[in-house]
Amino acid sequence: MFEFLFKYPLSVYQRGHYLLAGPWPWWLLVLLIAIAAAGLFWNARRHSNLIPRTRAAAIWGLQTALVALLLLLLARPAISVATLRPQQNIVAVLLDSSRSMTIADEGSRSRFDAASRLLKDGLIDSLGRKFQVRLYRLGADAHRVDTAHLYVPPDSGVTRIARSLEDIAAESAALPFGAVVLLSDGAENSGGIDFETIQRLRQTRIPVNTVGFGKEKLSRDIEVEDFSVPQRALAGSRIEARVALRQTGLSGETARVTIRDGDRVLAAQSITLNAEAAAVPLIFNAGNAGALNLLARVDPLPGEENTANNALARVVNVSARKPRILYVEGEPRWEYKFIRRASDDDPQIELVSMLRTTPNKIYRQGVRDQSELEQGFPTKPEELFGYDGLIIGSVEASWFTPAQQDMIREFAGRRGGGVLFLGGRFGLSEGGYAATSIAEMLPVHLPAAGTTFQRVYSNTELAPAGMDSALCRLDDDPQKNAERWKKMPEIANWQLVGDPKPGAALLAEIIPPGHRKTPLLVTEPFGRGRTAVLATGGMWRWQMRSDHTDKTLPNFWRQMLRFLVNDTPGTVVAATPRQVLQDEDRLPLRVEVRDKNYQPLGSAVVQAHFVGPDGLSDTLRLQPAGGEAGVYTADWSAPRAGAYLAEVTATVNNAEVGRDVLTFRRNDGVAENFRTTQNRDLLERLSKQTGGHYYTPREARHMTDEISYSEAGITSREMLDLWDLPIVLLLALALRASEWLLRRKWGVV
Amino acid sequence: MRMRFALLAIALTFSITAVAFQAQFKQYPGEEDNPTAVPSGAFERTEWTFARLKYPSGRYAEYAQERGTWPTDFPKADRQFLQGVRRLTRIHTRSTEQVIDLETDEIFNWPWVYAVEVGHWDLTDAQVKMMREYFERGGFLMVDDFHGTYEWQVFVASMSRIFPDRPIVEIADQDPIFHVLYDLGKRVQVPGLQYVYSGRLFEKDGIVPHWRGIYDDRGRLMVTMCFNQDDGDAWEHADNPQYPEQFTSQAYRLGINYIIYSMTH
Repeated sequence: MFEFLFKYPLSVYQRGHYLLAGPWPWWLLVLLIAIAAAGLFWNARRHSNLIPRTRAAAIWGLQTALVALLLLLLARPAISVATLRPQQNIVAVLLDSSRSMTIADEGSRSRFDAASRLLKDGLIDSLGRKFQVRLYRLGADAHRVDTAHLYVPPDSGVTRIARSLEDIAAESAALPFGAVVLLSDGAENSGGIDFETIQRLRQTRIPVNTVGFGKEKLSRDIEVEDFSVPQRALAGSRIEARVALRQTGLSGETARVTIRDGDRVLAAQSITLNAEAAAVPLIFNAGNAGALNLLARVDPLPGEENTANNALARVVNVSARKPRILYVEGEPRWEYKFIRRASDDDPQIELVSMLRTTPNKIYRQGVRDQSELEQGFPTKPEELFGYDGLIIGSVEASWFTPAQQDMIREFAGRRGGGVLFLGGRFGLSEGGYAATSIAEMLPVHLPAAGTTFQRVYSNTELAPAGMDSALCRLDDDPQKNAERWKKMPEIANWQLVGDPKPGAALLAEIIPPGHRKTPLLVTEPFGRGRTAVLATGGMWRWQMRSDHTDKTLPNFWRQMLRFLVNDTPGTVVAATPRQVLQDEDRLPLRVEVRDKNYQPLGSAVVQAHFVGPDGLSDTLRLQPAGGEAGVYTADWSAPRAGAYLAEVTATVNNAEVGRDVLTFRRNDGVAENFRTTQNRDLLERLSKQTGGHYYTPREARHMTDEISYSEAGITSREMLDLWDLPIVLLLALALRASEWLLRRKWGVV
Repeated sequence: MRMRFALLAIALTFSITAVAFQAQFKQYPGEEDNPTAVPSGAFERTEWTFARLKYPSGRYAEYAQERGTWPTDFPKADRQFLQGVRRLTRIHTRSTEQVIDLETDEIFNWPWVYAVEVGHWDLTDAQVKMMREYFERGGFLMVDDFHGTYEWQVFVASMSRIFPDRPIVEIADQDPIFHVLYDLGKRVQVPGLQYVYSGRLFEKDGIVPHWRGIYDDRGRLMVTMCFNQDDGDAWEHADNPQYPEQFTSQAYRLGINYIIYSMTH
């Protein structure tokens, strides 16, 4: 319809430059229109006694518009547009041949059959009449094929649109590509099309025209969209996981989400589906050391159209390391006893403690030998940084030297450890911490010194952020957990610690009798580590006022100790953004190396030794990353599906600095099961950002004319007249007819 | 009617507030064995104080008759010992003792308790059950001032009902409890005041002193017994020039070690 009225495709009007091709300058046209308007106005005034003023103005307006239109046509309006020269340009036709194209949701045909039919039934021929056509099958990359091989059934386990388009962009340096035609469902499964790819395509000026296949929405489906879980954990820790779901047509129904390790269900929760997207937090125990092959799964619901997207896998490296925590306590108190007891029952944590029993005596427990901490609190960073976590109890800030205070701050900031501050008679505000460099690392704004510590029994409750926190989990069931906090015995004392800082998480609160609620437990990331404030030294009543079989207090403390050390890095930390490779082989590896003082180490030799399925063994040397001191990177290719282990070692002058272990998996035949609906949004954005156009299969038959107008490839500039558009004739007739009808109605001839 | 509601609300508020605080110091006129003036700071709320167990003597009241043996040396021994604890350690403690009546569950707020003359205690079944629960939750008991075969048998009669399955053993000299603050690897028998008059270190047939205890499954002492000794008298008579300083010093050190041990193990 558009082309019937406007003679040329819409893209011509979008890309062309408008001009007047007649001999008149534009100002003359404006002048003539003004003179004509004035003349018609004079004529209307002459007959003002015959018709009312408003009617005369309407007739004058229509006459002026018609005369202006005719004068404009005499000035010969035109549009200048770049057009691809016939048979001198290449159009790349990319046919998505990934497995998601086999889904039969294009009427009775599969997406691939519908796309093939479109190409066979004239699109290739019509493109061929104007351009040289190159055919590509698109999967993990774009590879060129002849017509005979183009229609071979889909066989690729992945769709990598970005990488394929980059291949075309690279070829365009040597070949005159005028346009790209991409026939796909848009089910890109390498994380979308990044900004850099779009920028490269824009630089080549090749418009990407997309033709979308597949339903844009399934009628009944639930998909595990994401499964986030930490890459590593300590044996026996509680792990916080989050399963993101997306559903269509299942609102109001109940879905059961589980996390499994093999046949073992580690956590389960049922939710009622309401919104299109939902996130389900689940907490489970990491169990023993080793690789944990997790599967987050939502049980299939009746009538679900695609059940292959109901599960996602992840790997967690459960470490057997025994982190060490240093606990400094300034006075004998009951909490100390119960913290020690909790750690005694935890074979995974070593709690080293120093307690000031008298003004000049320190009682040490958990030390490796008599020399450890013999001289008191560490004075050298490498000595303090040998611990993974730190607890500062009821001890005055002035007991630490300024250098030691700075070290405590750097313990979290640079070393990456966890630091917990306990409330107490000499703790926090009353200990003078507000005036030290340590105040910066606290997750709260300490109130000014004064009486902030109270020995008043008080109840506690979870704050909203504590509901989903593994640190505060006293019961596996979130609802029961919240109730349990409220029913726990009163704590023996509490301290005002001020308001949480922006970015800090308030997890639990104290309800002192006669006072407003005040923070009990606040945590915050600080530098590479984390800090926490527990505003009491009186949790011990949880144990003494509960049945001896109730292990709530030791469990709470074990969780707290693990929170402090779970994510504490060693001197060598290996990481990858993809611990599960879904139908791909490239593993990006990033290793951070630090010395004993946890300063970045740029002169290390870093090697990764990989062990994989079928006895696979390989060694790779990593290279320093530009711009980031102490960071080494490399890409490694995992040749086949299965579980892998990478042991990374860093050495300086053949002396080992540290080592780390990374586990990951490659799963094949999985990626194409997800996001199986047509990703029209992605295809439209891709077209729009590259100057192309998105077509439905029905619209695509007319694309040949449209893609002729392109700035890419070999072009010539063409001037197209606009005076003979059918719409112009219709407009002139409409103006004249309107005037005649009005005159007739009003009886003015 | 409105007034009645208001009074009820006020009473409720006060009772809630009372519950929310640590149990307060209370005097026991008529039951005090060695009365002494109430020192200042008696009502201070602190982390620790000397918690004296008020147990029944029942069938074994004997000389103590109805009052029972629990307040022996009370409260002078308690308050003099507390002065030492305050001066010698960083333990936050008040100047007065706390009597823990086994007829209530107050013991669960005091993880360290002291019982004297346990050669005359006679716990009821409910108290036996409560004491076992107390130890299993993490409580610690120091018993003192009982002597000879008969009193040991009386003590064990109740103790073995609390822990029929746990043996009473001699505490080794190298056990942390003797070193946690003061090194007490070598100890002497601490006699009662009778030593001043008789010159004898022992009472009845309790010639040999014993430092015994009951351990939990993780090797931590829950009950400690100063058998054939009288540390309570040594605290009580610390200001008596006739009572030898040597015994008082050890009694203070031992008591403080037991407290710090209970707060660290």
